[in-house]
Amino acid sequence: MQAAVLRGTQNGYDLVIKQSAGLDQVMIDLKTLLENLRVDPKADAGKISLDVLTEDRILTAEEKQRIEHLVSQYPRFEIHKMTANVMTIADALQLKERDNVHLLSKVIRNGQDVEMQGDVLFLGTIHEGGKLCTTGNIFSMGNVNGILQAGYPEDETKLIMGNLQTAQQVRIAEQFDIVEANELAASNQTIAYVNDLHVLSYGQLDQLKKINPKLYNQIGGI
Amino acid sequence: MGKAIVITSGKGGVGKTTTSANIGTALALMGKRVCLMDLDIGLRNLDVVLGLDNRIIYDIVDVAEGRAKLPQALVKDKRFDDKLYLLPAAQNTDKTALKPEQVKAIVDELKPEYDYVLIDCPAGIEQGFMNAVAGADAAIVVTTPEISAVRDADRVVGLLEQHPLTEAPRLLINRIRRNMMQDGTMMDIDEITHHLGIELLGIIFDDDAVITTSNQGEPIVMNTDNPASQGYRNVARRMEGETVPLMKIEDQGQPGFWHRVSSWFHRG
Repeated sequence: MQAAVLRGTQNGYDLVIKQSAGLDQVMIDLKTLLENLRVDPKADAGKISLDVLTEDRILTAEEKQRIEHLVSQYPRFEIHKMTANVMTIADALQLKERDNVHLLSKVIRNGQDVEMQGDVLFLGTIHEGGKLCTTGNIFSMGNVNGILQAGYPEDETKLIMGNLQTAQQVRIAEQFDIVEANELAASNQTIAYVNDLHVLSYGQLDQLKKINPKLYNQIGGI
Repeated sequence: MGKAIVITSGKGGVGKTTTSANIGTALALMGKRVCLMDLDIGLRNLDVVLGLDNRIIYDIVDVAEGRAKLPQALVKDKRFDDKLYLLPAAQNTDKTALKPEQVKAIVDELKPEYDYVLIDCPAGIEQGFMNAVAGADAAIVVTTPEISAVRDADRVVGLLEQHPLTEAPRLLINRIRRNMMQDGTMMDIDEITHHLGIELLGIIFDDDAVITTSNQGEPIVMNTDNPASQGYRNVARRMEGETVPLMKIEDQGQPGFWHRVSSWFHRG
């Protein structure tokens, strides 16, 4: 069985590297394959872009380089991308962290910064001078007397939802608002978001469809 | 085996040293063996408040650096018959002269000898605070009913939660002015306790006599009738596990005319 197989698809060519073969065998087979294609007189002169599929194997940077180097010796071919069916546990955990809604119920005191990944459903208390910071959205059902920051460091599409009346500051990405007394109603359906003019502004939950259609659709709105 | 308790606040000037001296004295009056440790290196006051300043030979830095043995540095308070000792701070160096491990070693050496080792923490949350907390089993967070003191107490409680001691910190609200609290112009005790979210150990009323007695080197606890003194005694009793109700905020004031008249008939 060949360790390197060229497969035609609707979108072009896939170069499948079998996971059962060692990389040295792959290199030998790949070289043979490319040699054969080079001498094929029927092939037209156009450049062929390859998607390299490594099946259930993750290649290291060095191994990828070896394959890229070999392919680069054949001017008819170029590598478009390399993909595997699997990912490392570290990457998977990061993805999980990023895409999950995290429950957080703790007291964030004066001087404490809590940094999170992904969306946060906050049920605790933030005292004056405390800060909750996350890369995703914040949905707050707790008492906020400190600072909330969503979309850290620069994602302006994120929003903060909950009762923000007593907060000291609301921050989304690089935009911030110092919440003045009586600026906001004591509603737990307040939404803070960054508008088209890159200014932080406030709305209500029933306006979510207009404020952030992407999130609205994602969570099941029609 | 005794218990080491750090008395801290974050903010300066809320009465950590006065509290240390008075709780220590109150416990000694109850017959407990107490050692007070002053960790406010460079700005020591605990010795002055106790009236022991002219008896200091060696200090805690001398002990930590091996220039003196621990028993040599301890200053005995003769008023309490072998019950109250002070380990004074150094005056000619700064807070970086000690390391947390050294303080912990000294506290561990003291604990078997005493029922309570009370550690007077310096203001701030830097090296001095870390040193004071290093050897402690429990903490008393002192605050006053002012927003700045409560904010700093919140910060300190947060730090204590990050490096948990054996026991959860307890709160002592100092310098309560009865009249202002009755008028509602001062932060409420329940409000402060609820905000900080830790157990209330006691409340101490503000009293002029605290200053005058402290100037004479005699803790207010020695004066049995004083309301501040009663507050500290109650705190000491609660530390011993007794259930003592909080003192009433309402001023007793002068008894009314009819009350005085009726009391004549009850006298016999």
